[in-house]
Amino acid sequence: MFKKMIAKSMAKSPWIYHVNTGSCNGCDIELVAVLTPRYDAERFGFKLAGTPRHADIVVVSGPITSQSKERLIRTLEQVPEPKCVVSIGSCPRSCNVFKGSYSVEGPLEKYTHVDVSIAGCTPKPEAIIEGLYKAAEILAEKREAMNK
Amino acid sequence: MLDIIINTIKNAGFVLVFPGILFVSIAGLLLAGIDRKVLARMQKRKGPPILQPVYDFFKLMGKETIIPHEANKTAFLGAPIVGFVSLVVIMLFLPIAGFEAPFGIEGDLVIILYLLTIPAVALIIGGSASGSPFAGIGISREMVAMMAYELPLVIVLLSVAKVAGGDSLAFSLNTIIDAQAGGELFITKWQLIPAVLAMLLVIPAEVGTQPFDVAEAETEICEGPLVEYSGAPLAMFKLNTAIKMFIMTALFSVLFLGGINLGIEGWYGIVLNVVVLFAACAVLTILCMTLIHAICARLKIEHMFKFYWTVVTALAAISLILVWIF
Amino acid sequence: MFDFLTIDFVRHFPVIAVMGLFLCAFLVEIFGAKNKYIRNTIVLVAAFGAFALITSLVKPVLFDGEILAYWMGNWEPVSGYAIGIGYEIDALNMFFALLVVTTILLAAIYSIKYMARDHHLGHYYTLFLMLSGSVLGLVLTGDIFNMFVMIEIMTFASVALTAFRNNKFGSLEAAFKYLIIGSIGSSMTLAGIALLYAQCHTLNMAQISAVLGSGALSPTSICAFALMFAGFGVKSYIVPFHAPAADAYMTAPTSISMVFSGMVNKAGVYGMIRLVYVIFRAMDITPIQLFLVTFGTITMFIGVTMALAQHDFKRLLAFHSISQIGYVITAVSLCTALGLEAGLFHAMNHTLFKGLLFLTAGAVLYAAGTTDLDKLGGLAKKMPKTAVCFLIGAFSISGLPPFNGFASKWMIYQATFEKATTTGNFAYAFVTVVALVVSVMTLASFIKVTQAVFFGQLPANLRDVKEVPLLMRIPMWIMSALCILTGVFYNFVQQHILVPAANAAFGVTKYIDSMMGEGTAAASGISDYAVQGVEGIVSIWNPKLWLILFAIVLIAVFIVILTGDNTRGRVLEKSEEDSEDGKYATFFGGEKSAHSHVSGSDLFWGFKHDFKGYFKFIQGMHSGVVNDYALWVVVGAALIVVFMFATFMFI
Repeated sequence: MFKKMIAKSMAKSPWIYHVNTGSCNGCDIELVAVLTPRYDAERFGFKLAGTPRHADIVVVSGPITSQSKERLIRTLEQVPEPKCVVSIGSCPRSCNVFKGSYSVEGPLEKYTHVDVSIAGCTPKPEAIIEGLYKAAEILAEKREAMNK
Repeated sequence: MLDIIINTIKNAGFVLVFPGILFVSIAGLLLAGIDRKVLARMQKRKGPPILQPVYDFFKLMGKETIIPHEANKTAFLGAPIVGFVSLVVIMLFLPIAGFEAPFGIEGDLVIILYLLTIPAVALIIGGSASGSPFAGIGISREMVAMMAYELPLVIVLLSVAKVAGGDSLAFSLNTIIDAQAGGELFITKWQLIPAVLAMLLVIPAEVGTQPFDVAEAETEICEGPLVEYSGAPLAMFKLNTAIKMFIMTALFSVLFLGGINLGIEGWYGIVLNVVVLFAACAVLTILCMTLIHAICARLKIEHMFKFYWTVVTALAAISLILVWIF
Repeated sequence: MFDFLTIDFVRHFPVIAVMGLFLCAFLVEIFGAKNKYIRNTIVLVAAFGAFALITSLVKPVLFDGEILAYWMGNWEPVSGYAIGIGYEIDALNMFFALLVVTTILLAAIYSIKYMARDHHLGHYYTLFLMLSGSVLGLVLTGDIFNMFVMIEIMTFASVALTAFRNNKFGSLEAAFKYLIIGSIGSSMTLAGIALLYAQCHTLNMAQISAVLGSGALSPTSICAFALMFAGFGVKSYIVPFHAPAADAYMTAPTSISMVFSGMVNKAGVYGMIRLVYVIFRAMDITPIQLFLVTFGTITMFIGVTMALAQHDFKRLLAFHSISQIGYVITAVSLCTALGLEAGLFHAMNHTLFKGLLFLTAGAVLYAAGTTDLDKLGGLAKKMPKTAVCFLIGAFSISGLPPFNGFASKWMIYQATFEKATTTGNFAYAFVTVVALVVSVMTLASFIKVTQAVFFGQLPANLRDVKEVPLLMRIPMWIMSALCILTGVFYNFVQQHILVPAANAAFGVTKYIDSMMGEGTAAASGISDYAVQGVEGIVSIWNPKLWLILFAIVLIAVFIVILTGDNTRGRVLEKSEEDSEDGKYATFFGGEKSAHSHVSGSDLFWGFKHDFKGYFKFIQGMHSGVVNDYALWVVVGAALIVVFMFATFMFI
């Protein structure tokens, strides 16, 4: 019963930790907009966590800059399993217009497995919610896989 | 022999089912859910389902627990359990809903006062043991917050004890309940109205909800003492906060509402009492936690301390002086 | 089983215990100056002997309620006048003697390893045994001049021991302060005794009480009372006489700090109780009660606020000693059954938990080489056993259930509030509130120590700290066990130890009669106090509940285990000590973790910020200048004299 409850809850309360790896702040604002009364992601149980130790989903925005690379890797390590990585916007996906810059070392896939990638510059809040919801489902699957 | 077995089963029932672990956990998590739902409605949001804290709890149970290498393992893992146990013990002291407290004895008021500090101390020890500097700042704030609300709480309890006991000594919750048995609830006594207000302000600080969540400010010090916690211990701490919500509101109902006893005989009387008690606790939660949360931003620790040692203490002290004179 | 322990069998034991300690003090210097085995043997034999001799008196005196009146050299009173020195042991000084011998024994065991790195240990043990013998003599004697002699030996042994580690910064200064303040105190006591002797023509305490009688006190005896009261106040370090205590406790070797707080200031408390309750029988006068309660309340508040501002482990403990003595004085001076029992209980608990805390401070000093809260941290990983002992002590002194501090503090709250409701005096309710708030502040300052010393991050220079040796841990374990046992079985303690001791303080006639012969008290018109020690006024815990509580803990742990690793998430711990795995690093907002420890010195800045005026004032007052401190003592004594005259002349 305990197991069932855990399996059921895994998709229902995903806590988000947000890492900005050199984003222009556009995606960050949209992520916050997701939690406002208009879009209200909390109805699916989403919550912003203050530390990676509490997080289930790590949201990365921005093309990984050389300054933020190490910090991103360290933060990702500190998240307890099962966890999901979600990239928001074009930057972590392809480095967007910053590609080729001396200080950009993206994309995100070079450093970690990305579970959900939400495209757009910037993606709409609806898209972000859908992406996060998918990530939550993947989270539950990962938990299943871990228990086998 | 049979007696002992029956007694053991009975006591185990008290501890495990009602009013112990099972009841208090469910009631606490439901209250936390109501709090989040109502808060969302106040902000014109749909809000999470009422069972959201339950989901959170089970999800956290399923996550990994990472012990950072700077941490002291025993204290780090033991702290949440100590906090949980002391909260359950408080519950066994509270004579709620016309139900005689299993642990109820002379002088349980001060015991409760001290047991209420143990979850906070457990949080502090746990945070301290995690070795994080964020936690260091968090425990400092938690401790100052504790000093802040303890003074008015003490004075409120003393004034209630004085009203209930008259010239004799009444540090006992049963005496307080008995004094209100005839329907003369203490909330209707005019001398105690400042104390009621003070108690309503003490509850959010004791539970640690916004605007008094200085210790766990997630936006500035990364949840303070909880920063390094993950998985099951974190789930226990979240559960402790939820239980504290229920216990503080239940304590309020014991002190000022006679513990909610409708005086109906039989088992359905008790069930009815429990339902009404839970409703009262929900109303109190909405009144003194959700409402203030929705309209206030987080205070700074020195402002919080000042607020409690001036305004709230003054309210409580007025009550104590009034009950002493009249 | 212990039937052979009759009053006649144990008649000579107290004197032998005191003499033995003094004798061994010289033997240790003569035979043990060079050889450490002989030295340790002599010290342990003396300490254990004193312990055994005094504990054998427990049954006849405490349990059977007899009073041991002993005349040295058989110099019994001649025609009603006491000429010789008498030892009179009733339950009250038996109680204090028990605290003293326990402290001596544990301090002696602890010293063996703790002091092993110092030189001239012969001197150290001589002074230690002199101090022990004098305090034991002080609490056992029935002769007031003998008491004064013991006070003098105690003061000078303490001064020399404070300066024992005179290579350390501040120890000579501390000894100097102790010497000045202590001498002023002793002189006041001596002046008081001289006046009293002029008035009563006797030095026996029981006879003084009888001669003073039940009538109004003459101005001479009022002056004597006030001076002796101030003198004992200096010995028990109540505010404003507390100033040298902090320095002395900090710089003395920790085994001696434990002795200071465990028995030297208890001797002062004992002196005050004996003086006010028995010799002058003044405790049922309302202004005297209020006066003493005021003293106690101010002491506990100033002690704890000063402790919050400290950043040395031992200095912080020293201010807590002052604060806890405030609790004792407050409770004792209520002159109710519950109040006196609560005060005595707290005195006993203070000996236990403060001794324990000083021992852990000593262990930290021994292992890490410093007690500066800003330089320590994370020691719980290296010294887990010491950390557990420290937490037990810290929770006891903060009064968390189920430790002993809770039981006694709870009795104190109840006693003060009861006094408030029975007398209708609001001031006592205020005292209850202050006592509760001081308790929270005590907790706060021990949280500070916990964070600064035992938890948090380990500084690089303390990486190779080791746990202290077994001989230092044994006294800590004993103290910890006693802290828990007296907290859980407080009913037993109250029934068999506190009630007889309280009754002894209330039963003045019995004290006089057993020393000076039947009917002496009645002849001088002296009666007992109206109050008597009562059993079972409080019932805090039912031991049965403890089983249930234990079951809850088991169940809680069981649930966690039951839902094992497969269901619950795994518990992960770093496998190798020095692997560079980022997963187990402390979260630093993504940065590489560095040493960053929130240390103790200013942990509660939010609180201090709101009280910055008060803290500035009170820290300014503790200027460290011995002239200032001497002035406080003199002003305090003058206040006491004026107050006593006002009370006795106009009431």
